[in-house]
Amino acid sequence: MQKRPRYGLYAIVSLSVLISFFPIVWLILTSFKNTAGIYAWPPQYWPDPFTLDNYISIFTNSPELLRYILNSFIVGAGCTAITLMLGGLAAYALSRLRLRFAGMLMVGILAVSMFPPVSLLPSLFQNFLNLGLLNTYTGLILAHAGLFLPFSVWMLASYFATLPVEIEEAARMDGMGFVRIFLTIVLPLSWPGFVATGLIVFIFSWNEFPLSLVLMTQNAMRTAPVGISLYPGEYAFPWETISTATVLAIIPVLIITAIFQKQIVGGLTAGAGK
Amino acid sequence: MASVTLKQIGKSYGVVTAVEQFDLDIADGEFLVLLGPSGCGKSTTLRMIAGLESITTGDLMIGGTRVNDTDPKNRGVAMVFQNYALYPHKSVFDNMAMALKLQKMPKAEIARRVNDVADMLGLTAYLERKPAALSGGQRQRVAIGRAIVRTPEVFLFDEPLSNLDAQLRVKMRMELQELHERLGVTSIYVTHDQVEAMTLADRIVILDRGRVAQIGTPREVYEQPATRFVASFIGSPAMNFMPAERAGDGWQVTGTDLVLPGFGQLATEADALTLGLRPEHIEVLPADAAVNDPWAFDATVKLAELLGADALLNLSVKGQPLLARVGGTDFPQAGETVRIRVDPARLHAFDPETELTVARAAQH
Repeated sequence: MQKRPRYGLYAIVSLSVLISFFPIVWLILTSFKNTAGIYAWPPQYWPDPFTLDNYISIFTNSPELLRYILNSFIVGAGCTAITLMLGGLAAYALSRLRLRFAGMLMVGILAVSMFPPVSLLPSLFQNFLNLGLLNTYTGLILAHAGLFLPFSVWMLASYFATLPVEIEEAARMDGMGFVRIFLTIVLPLSWPGFVATGLIVFIFSWNEFPLSLVLMTQNAMRTAPVGISLYPGEYAFPWETISTATVLAIIPVLIITAIFQKQIVGGLTAGAGK
Repeated sequence: MASVTLKQIGKSYGVVTAVEQFDLDIADGEFLVLLGPSGCGKSTTLRMIAGLESITTGDLMIGGTRVNDTDPKNRGVAMVFQNYALYPHKSVFDNMAMALKLQKMPKAEIARRVNDVADMLGLTAYLERKPAALSGGQRQRVAIGRAIVRTPEVFLFDEPLSNLDAQLRVKMRMELQELHERLGVTSIYVTHDQVEAMTLADRIVILDRGRVAQIGTPREVYEQPATRFVASFIGSPAMNFMPAERAGDGWQVTGTDLVLPGFGQLATEADALTLGLRPEHIEVLPADAAVNDPWAFDATVKLAELLGADALLNLSVKGQPLLARVGGTDFPQAGETVRIRVDPARLHAFDPETELTVARAAQH
């Protein structure tokens, strides 16, 4: 039954790959065009002339891009660290300690994450202003961590649910307490879950726009998406600069994903049971 | 080593009763099997003894001390789990040494004990391997080894063989038997497999929907089942059951022309019974045999199945279907007419309402 080539499936997959990759490919190609090439009609697919001028000029004319990327990186890393730490503890407690109302708590956490981030902005801005957290890494890291913690709790809780509970029970019989079980048994076994969750949270934080825009008002503190979006000048729309900066801002995320991808795919509980 | 005593132990989750209160004394060195179908409460009982499940009512004593609220590690019990539950990221040695390390035992002593046990179980060559690099049988041996190195007072086994294939299961069953003879440690063993229960147990506790149906030796539960459930659960193929009504001195099997003579003094005045007869207790004779025996009846073979050493005959006895088990050579074929003889001493009687065995006086 499986022998027959499934052309329909391949067609659908190819089409969806084409659609989802087109903007990225278009972006990358644009970053190698000159201004005339960008506005050419009919549209130019392959850059002609193929030029690296945009990359050279962005480092000479807009050196703040590197600062934006660094800011994004610091915020993303800080937010990921906090979310994994708190999310891991919360998820483990909610999925394994047989807490009363654990189910209601999980639903509550999900409900909280349904508020649109923009609705939080006014109060968040006022409080951050009073606390002196505007234009600080701590401020935006906390804001992002708060925003993505529910996701992390849910994702990690569902990962913990896939671990055979008998391993932890065996550890209890061996004489471990909950903290030691979490640190020496659960953490090593849930490494793929933590990597996957961390990666997604990092990307969420990297791409987050409204909070980053409002809570970081100084140019030197802006994150990459905000900084790049503020490039457009008063009269012209610098497509070549924007596309080049965006390509550069994607690269760190691509590298991180490539490094950790194997961890996500491979499970570590092989050999525990049957 | 220690005895284990359950005094009115019970478990309920809110209004749902998982295990009804019962008493059980497990002698020092005894091999006790908790047997029953899934959901009967056998695993819950074991987990209460292990300390993984809280005890709702009653007292649990291990070695004479009440341990209801004692931490699992301090109960002197070691458990072997159904799916082995090894630490996948640790070597075989570390898996076995974990409990000793946590007891802060000197390293040299840990190494000596782990090596001894590994030697006993044939695991010495695999000590540095991770569980993923072992076969199912080897993993189960590691899980057993992990329990042995702790030199516990009581071993707890939660369906330890059910993940193994049939051949390996038989082999491991024998190894467990040898191990118990050698170590003599009190063992409590949960299974749904009656063969494991019959072969391993000193005594069997049969559980049915959270209630203890019978506690007895393998021979007792086979020969004198206390309830219809026990009678049907023990023995393979299962016992034949026939609803019957009183007909004069004898019993008429409901809906058939089969009338059985009276058999002894029954402790019931009821006019209805459920009769039970094991397939291996039906004697199949040539069609012209035992003509004047009141316990012999004409029967037709509907289907004959060869199992190898044995054969199963699906019989019709005056309209009553009966399964009989006979030797695998020279058995009658489908369509043949035979005589069957029933030993009234082997006939079981159950109350159709309570499903309890109806006691009867000795045979005349």
